[in-house]
Amino acid sequence: MADLAISTQDLVKTYGRGTRGLAGLDLEVRTNEVYGYLGPNGAGKSTTIRVLLDLIRATSGTVRVLGLDPRAAGVALRRRIGHLAGDFVVDGRQTSRQLLTYLGNLRGGVPAARIAELADRLGLELDRQIRGLSKGNRQKAGVIQAFMHSPELLVLDEPTSGLDPFLQQEFVRLVQEARREGATVFMSSHVMSEVQHTADRVGIIRDGRLVAVESVESLRAHALRSVTLTFDGAFDAADFARVPGFTDLTVAGPTLRGRLAGHTDELVKAASRYTVRDLLCEEPDLEEIFFHYYARPEADHVPA
Amino acid sequence: MFLRDVYSKALWDARRSLPGWTVAIAAVALMYAAFWPTVNSPQMHDALAAYPDDVLAAFNSGDLGTAQGYLGGAVYGLLVPLLVAVFMIAAGARAVAGDEEAGTLDLVMAHPVSRRGLALRRLGAALTGMAVVAVVLFALMVALRAPFQLETVAVGGFLAMNVQLALFGTMFGTLAFAVGAATGNKSLALGVSAGVAVLAYLANSVFPQVAALEWTRNVSPFHWYLGGEPLTNGVQWGGAAALAGTAVVLAAVGVFRFGRRDIGG
Repeated sequence: MADLAISTQDLVKTYGRGTRGLAGLDLEVRTNEVYGYLGPNGAGKSTTIRVLLDLIRATSGTVRVLGLDPRAAGVALRRRIGHLAGDFVVDGRQTSRQLLTYLGNLRGGVPAARIAELADRLGLELDRQIRGLSKGNRQKAGVIQAFMHSPELLVLDEPTSGLDPFLQQEFVRLVQEARREGATVFMSSHVMSEVQHTADRVGIIRDGRLVAVESVESLRAHALRSVTLTFDGAFDAADFARVPGFTDLTVAGPTLRGRLAGHTDELVKAASRYTVRDLLCEEPDLEEIFFHYYARPEADHVPA
Repeated sequence: MFLRDVYSKALWDARRSLPGWTVAIAAVALMYAAFWPTVNSPQMHDALAAYPDDVLAAFNSGDLGTAQGYLGGAVYGLLVPLLVAVFMIAAGARAVAGDEEAGTLDLVMAHPVSRRGLALRRLGAALTGMAVVAVVLFALMVALRAPFQLETVAVGGFLAMNVQLALFGTMFGTLAFAVGAATGNKSLALGVSAGVAVLAYLANSVFPQVAALEWTRNVSPFHWYLGGEPLTNGVQWGGAAALAGTAVVLAAVGVFRFGRRDIGG
């Protein structure tokens, strides 16, 4: 099982008064992959993450994180994990430098130069009181504490909420760097766009259960893309109607529009017979596929 | 150096509140102690003689004719333990439950820190605060013994009184800590501890005036703290052991429960 960074079997978490957090979760996150953990609010994403960190204890089922049981080896395990919560809450009566020095010391010390380097990259003023910082700037301190010790496993709970687009980009770079250095990244979100640029695979959780796991590549392959072809001169729409996966064709003058599922190869070959003035193929909307999973009713769903 | 670990960080976080409480408690104690030369006059003795003994006993002020009686009543019998109880109950409730309710405990607990390690270090920091207050109060009392005409109280008497006071505060701080650590509920920790403090006071000073309720004095932390007149007779080992023993049991229960439950958030 050494190739799995996180694995859970039939994980159940029931809160007081019968509220279900997790209802038999089977999760497998491979070492050195970026795993996007998607689901609507209340699906059990945070519950899962809190179990992985041993902040809460599962009602039944087994959990292994980096080969260890969080319950039995929480301290040793958390030494190797970096965690960031979307709502990074911290006592405001200290500076970011004080906070990060303290948190670094809890991990046996993180060089001040490393903290300074990350702060510089994200544009965080380390010597300002945290209570005077905007939510975005506060979140920067959170990002730094998660990454500063270069952990083997990053557990990120809706990490980019509250970050502006520039910071989201920088965050994506940090995730990619960590992965290149061998880290595994487990990142939850309720929007596909937050994870689709970094994730290798996405798992979709609903009502405390994993309902689908897909590689982002195959999601992309199954995604419908709008394609617009503009030709120099006449063309025969029938040539394109034969292309597998190409549907909803409309013709307007020299322009052909349609929706394409799967590979673009056949379509490009069909078009090569003509002089193509312009070819526009839109980025697949993974969100759409994602919502397709939401919409599919779960057969054995029992209300808690 | 204050950002080294959970214990030192907790002391660092108290860098403003602890000096504040120390000054406040010492100021109240010294102000009352400074009245002693005035109280110790024939006119005051006559005036006090007019009060029924029961009323004086209810305020832990049975014997206002001696320095020991006055200090043990007005200063160490009522206001100082009251302030110390409030100070330590607040510190104990903040140690785990306050942090948890504020949502800031998650961050620390996502680091390589054990539940027991965190709880004990936070409790340790709260008790360090109690020690600071007791030591400062002792030092000031001894320093001002002569100007306040309190020489009839031995230095050893002040030492014993402040040791008992520290144990008294330790017990209430640990009670609030334990309820908070076990439940994560700060209001409950404050409420239970304040309730126990009031009952403890009544059980020492008011209930025993009814003969059938005299036994309640023996289970009152106020009695464990004050009984046997530590200012005159030195450390009262029975009471001291009862306070310390209760604190140890409470701390153990709180830490045990904290180690097994879910952290809220």
